[in-house]
Amino acid sequence: MKTGIFICHCGHNIKHTVDVKKLSNFFKKYPGVTVSNDYPFVCSEPGQDMISESIEKQGLDRVIIASCTPSLHGELFKDLLKKSDLNPFLLRRVSIREHCSWVGDDIEINTEKARRLILAGLYSAAHYVPLEEKRVEVTKSALIIGGGVSGLSAADFLSKMGMQVYLVEKEAELGGHVKNLKNIWPARKDGKSIIDEMIEELAGRENVEIFASTTISGFEGFFGNYEVTLDTLEGEKKLTAGGVIIAIGFSPFDPRIKPELQYGKDKRIITTLEFEHNADTLQLPEKPRVAILHCVGSRDEQIGKPYCSRVCCINALRVGEAIKDKYKDSYVESFYMDVRAHPRGGEEYFEDTQEKGVLFTRANVAEINPSLTGIVIRGEDTLFGEIFEREFDLVVLSIGMSPPVDNKLTASLLKITLDKDKFFMEAHIKLRPFDTAVKGIFIAGSCSGPKDVEESINHGRASAVKLFGFLNLGYAYVDPFISYVDPKRCSGCRMCEQACVAKAIKYDEEKRVVHVEEAACMGCGLCNATCPSSAISLKGYIDCMIDDEISAFMEAI
Amino acid sequence: MLGKKIKNGSIEDTLNRFLKDDQHLILGFEKGENGVSLRAFKNHLDHYSLLNPIFSTNGALHLRRLFSKGTKIILMLRPCEIRAYIELIKLNQIEREDIIAVSIDCLGAVSSKDKTDDIPTEADQLREYFKKTDTIRWACNVCRERRGVVGDAGIRIDRDGLFWAFSYTEKGDSFLSLIEGESEESKTEMLMSGSEKQDQFQIDMKTFSKDFSKCIMCMNCRDMCPVCYCIDCVFNGDEYLPKGDALLNKILRSGPVQLPQGKELFHFIRMYHVSQTCVGCGACEEACPQGIPLTKYFKGTSERLQSMFSYMSGRSFDEPIPYVTFLEDELKDAED
Amino acid sequence: MLQDKAEKNPEIIGFACSYCTFKASEMAGSLRMKYPDGVKLVQVPCSSRVDPAFVIKAIFEGADGVFVAGCHPGDCHFIKGNYFTRRKIAALKEMFDAFSMNDKLRLFWVSAAEARRFVEKVTGMYNEIKERKNVRKEN
Repeated sequence: MKTGIFICHCGHNIKHTVDVKKLSNFFKKYPGVTVSNDYPFVCSEPGQDMISESIEKQGLDRVIIASCTPSLHGELFKDLLKKSDLNPFLLRRVSIREHCSWVGDDIEINTEKARRLILAGLYSAAHYVPLEEKRVEVTKSALIIGGGVSGLSAADFLSKMGMQVYLVEKEAELGGHVKNLKNIWPARKDGKSIIDEMIEELAGRENVEIFASTTISGFEGFFGNYEVTLDTLEGEKKLTAGGVIIAIGFSPFDPRIKPELQYGKDKRIITTLEFEHNADTLQLPEKPRVAILHCVGSRDEQIGKPYCSRVCCINALRVGEAIKDKYKDSYVESFYMDVRAHPRGGEEYFEDTQEKGVLFTRANVAEINPSLTGIVIRGEDTLFGEIFEREFDLVVLSIGMSPPVDNKLTASLLKITLDKDKFFMEAHIKLRPFDTAVKGIFIAGSCSGPKDVEESINHGRASAVKLFGFLNLGYAYVDPFISYVDPKRCSGCRMCEQACVAKAIKYDEEKRVVHVEEAACMGCGLCNATCPSSAISLKGYIDCMIDDEISAFMEAI
Repeated sequence: MLGKKIKNGSIEDTLNRFLKDDQHLILGFEKGENGVSLRAFKNHLDHYSLLNPIFSTNGALHLRRLFSKGTKIILMLRPCEIRAYIELIKLNQIEREDIIAVSIDCLGAVSSKDKTDDIPTEADQLREYFKKTDTIRWACNVCRERRGVVGDAGIRIDRDGLFWAFSYTEKGDSFLSLIEGESEESKTEMLMSGSEKQDQFQIDMKTFSKDFSKCIMCMNCRDMCPVCYCIDCVFNGDEYLPKGDALLNKILRSGPVQLPQGKELFHFIRMYHVSQTCVGCGACEEACPQGIPLTKYFKGTSERLQSMFSYMSGRSFDEPIPYVTFLEDELKDAED
Repeated sequence: MLQDKAEKNPEIIGFACSYCTFKASEMAGSLRMKYPDGVKLVQVPCSSRVDPAFVIKAIFEGADGVFVAGCHPGDCHFIKGNYFTRRKIAALKEMFDAFSMNDKLRLFWVSAAEARRFVEKVTGMYNEIKERKNVRKEN
């Protein structure tokens, strides 16, 4: 066996807590190892050249790259091997950054851990065999779940690029929350007109099919050909989608969750959304006293919403501005933790509102007490450390964004993950912010975390671009990690067949052994663990690989 | 319960009638010069014994991979053997179609390793014999089901010493129809009642090491286990077998180790593999040349593991083996 | 000195499913959360790939503890895989219990988002085993 081991410094990320020199020297002398090098950035071009040169010159038949976690740069290194005429499945990635250098501080201990991790990779890779990725045809169609701004913008892009688009909306009407907004900052545009424009664009296109008042009741299959069952008003409908974009938006925070806000008990306490809808019909005195509470349902650990909702500060500013514009002699006071007017132009807008006369008080609001004459707010001014008590005619709660109501249902149907705040989770926060862990399923808009209208539109379009890249190719390679049976060892007990979730195992009555239907196999390996003699094995994770990995960890090999 | 009374010698007449057909076989026990042993009868019974007071192997062992169609077979075996047979059916190692499984009330047995010359084969004498001596096998002493209540039909002994045949399935009905006479209500209580519940098996690794220190890794226990059905055991490959280098590294890392290596692994993994299907017959212990008390461990752990899923190996043809099914809401205690 | 370290510090082998727990461990690393070096992960596609034989092997090769971790029930990427895992590992735990080794095996669910939970779980397990091990040594 000719194994090449390449240990990455990752600049300082690995090097500063792992003695990479010591490691590469250790493996230089290890049996079966032909090359053992350490390099500042293995993923850089010179780093890649070093690897391909070693493969060609030394005739390596196994490559071990000890660097960042395997889910990063996966395709890059696979392609590198392909270019050097080596089967990409003879590559083993060992994570010595996320699982070693970043989780411990002691260089001596980390080096030893990294040594064992690489050793495990080495022994496991010894059992690797070349595998062929299977090519599957991709249906050039996309399912977009959610007809809000992000869903619509994704549908717009994909259909313009010639893909068949199925747009599914739970409500009877498209447009989500945006269609009800009257005055969208900073363009001061009516939400309905934005939505109407988008719908008009789509309406003329033959390759767009819109399903309103429709939910998804079934979801099966794999990237390229997802089998979707829709529950429409006309009954059940089945369709095949190459990929999916989830854009199911958010749900506004319900202030009733915090009873101390007295919301719902007094008509003079309203949310920013209600203010938006009813600004013109509000009954206020000539010189109204208005309080605006920031961060309602955001940055609040106690109710499990520690995140910033990103839109509510601007919303609060808009309320202040609207009151001031309408009532010159009004008294408007905003109670904030800190004002995060982060979008472009937000800071200037904040200053404008201050100039217009809205008062900003950094405060902890302790009590809200409705009385006959008004609503009394008691709290602490945290800048001056003073207790205050003031009476207002109107209290506006600047509510945040909560995860969509269907988040759990959608996640379990599509087998994707929710993050700690129960929004959909991206595959990688920086490198793959639109992807989910499942190939071909993307997230768009505020269902992946609070976003304003502009961001949601962009996010939808970006996900559409990503999906288009997949669909337009027309084919995809699927992981070759599926099960196979050694018929000589199979006892024909059919335990694997009974357990198999994908029903991919079939029994041959004649030969009294089972075989695997490759197209149906999901590659979980349950059969492998169920078979007492391991006559059925999962490619890439066969028993001896894992066993040797364990032995190498324990240094009993 | 409705059953058929078996008159003196009538069971042999019944079986002989069945054997008249050339395509019919009976698997049962034979009284021979060397004691009672398992035998397949063709055409007619010879030196037939209903009971077998000597345990050497589990009869179901010989039925593995029995798929022959057309040959009709009646099994006249002990409950533990019929239970293993039922597990093997679930594991698709036996074609059930042409087989009628009859379990016979078991009064216990002595080990084939012990002196077996003077052991009687008739029920009443055997009872007296076991009352006088303590030669009964440990596995039989702690048996979970010694009554003929499993399989397609059962033969039971009542308190008056009379034999009865009962049917539990359609196949059992056809067996009963072979017996002369009419079905009637059995009024007398049966001789044997359900087994007493044993204490939950609990042991420590120190005792385990002591008990298994004699193991020579001959794997006879595996070979003679009726439910260890794999045609190619994982321990035939090199994955779990000891490697010299590994041994060296282990010694260097954590000090001297006991030899042969890998026996704990072997027994633990086998214990897990048979945990749901083990019938506690003690065939492993019978096969062990070193006299390791294997039954204690295998029966003990399997009973604990089966009770987790309210499962009992060989109790019914229909209960699926627990590892191939699940409930969505269960075993919360196991989650940490 | 090193010898002493190796003796006192527990070795824990964890089986982590690619879609949840392994992802959580990646995130824990990215967030520079610290956990003991004795914890080493074997990546498996799904927790249902974990053959109880691996756990037994790890224990008899000298691991002080083994954990099997996957997606929360109902969230399995392979739809139902982790329900089977739960049955098998629960049975194995019961078996270990019979041999008075109940502290050696754990089963827990960590979703891809729960980096903190991952660190808490493995650190907790590590510390408990370490404590018990040192108590045993003193006696």
